[in-house]
Amino acid sequence: MMLTSLDPRVNRLQVPAEWPDLPVKNQLDQWATYEVFAQKRENTAYAYVGPVHAPDLEVAFLFAKEQYSRRVACFGLWVVKTQAIQHTPYVNDNELVWGMINIPAAIRPAEPQQPFEIFILKKRGKAHTHAGMVMASDYPAALAVAKEQFGDQAPCVNVWVMPAAQVFKSAEEDKDLWLTLSEKKYREPVAYKVLDKINAFKTRTISNP
Amino acid sequence: MNEQAIKELLYTLADNQLVLGHRNSEWTGIGPILEEDIAFSSMAQDKLGHSLAFYALLYELGESDPDTLAFMRNPSQFHCCQLVELPIGEYDFSLIRHFLYDHAEAIRFEYLTQAGYEPLAKVATKLRGELKYHLLHANTMVKQLGNATAESINRLQQSLNDAFPYALGMFESSPYEAELASAGIFPLESQIQTQWLENIRKVLAQTQLQLPDLESVMPVFGGRRGVHSEYLQPLLDEMAEVYNLDPNTEW
Repeated sequence: MMLTSLDPRVNRLQVPAEWPDLPVKNQLDQWATYEVFAQKRENTAYAYVGPVHAPDLEVAFLFAKEQYSRRVACFGLWVVKTQAIQHTPYVNDNELVWGMINIPAAIRPAEPQQPFEIFILKKRGKAHTHAGMVMASDYPAALAVAKEQFGDQAPCVNVWVMPAAQVFKSAEEDKDLWLTLSEKKYREPVAYKVLDKINAFKTRTISNP
Repeated sequence: MNEQAIKELLYTLADNQLVLGHRNSEWTGIGPILEEDIAFSSMAQDKLGHSLAFYALLYELGESDPDTLAFMRNPSQFHCCQLVELPIGEYDFSLIRHFLYDHAEAIRFEYLTQAGYEPLAKVATKLRGELKYHLLHANTMVKQLGNATAESINRLQQSLNDAFPYALGMFESSPYEAELASAGIFPLESQIQTQWLENIRKVLAQTQLQLPDLESVMPVFGGRRGVHSEYLQPLLDEMAEVYNLDPNTEW
């Protein structure tokens, strides 16, 4: 017995109506989560838009493109593995998180430095926004430098720190990837103005049942 | 310049995009994972949009309106290659077809942006970014699954072997191509095929997949002259099912 459906595609798949006992497959690894930041207007700061699940960074970028750029304006995406992000505790909206950041007792400038990207959250419930890049030897040092450079930015209730080397950034020469066509209105739900027709249909069927 | 030559090129471009767009849309709701369901659906939407742009150019040249061209023709009037008509099969086949097709399409679009026929060059320039994404999607997924498990590699290899003769059929020549090439409008199909082979080899070299031996494969030609597989008619019936209920209705 095959599964039958009103959807002809389902019928074509020839799916059995009842599944036989399938051989048990080995448990595959869970996909990791990645965090996505988008540039919503040209030459503005990148801001957090949400997570994706993916097997690696390249696929994460694909999924992010699909999920976070298709229906809203987008001029670029950054994607980073969630595990690569470290963050401060959250404080309430009327408090400042910078006061909770301790400058490490000994900053060792001799150690090899690398760039870190700093994102700050101005208000709980809003999105983390890119504040800038700092050079540091590790996460705590990066946070300390961020406090020096951005500590005058208030309000600030949370800070995210991530090594720039681990952030996958869309390329400048791929800008045309983000051009969605203005005439493709059929992609937007607002393009379907059907309520009038539905109401007319209801009136007709109710008055002439 | 021969208008017939331009029209034949436009029909070939438009019909390929329309039919593959419809095929890809069949994944909507039944994709293997949600993200791929969405990706195939949105690429399908892009391809339908591209076909509309090409049909609109045909309309300007005096052909019927886009809806009539899409919904009212017989299979023998379609110029698409047989590769795009084949059923979606399982995901591995649809992915390989998408990979083989969009590598060719990306090359075509690059040439079209420089076409010595301005309306076409304009359309191609506007749509090129979407093709770039389709290619990125195909390459990423083929590299991912072409190196993953024995099952994924075997499935993709089998699909590659099955699709390859049809893929070569994408480069069917037309009686007008020498004229279009000398007018600087569009290169010879053989030239596109050479570039295509080079490009897909570069990606496949990063996977466990082997390109079938060119010498041992017979290309499946005919689509461009209206000779199609048994799968096109049912596809057109299904695509036009709603339209045919009342062709004169206003949407």
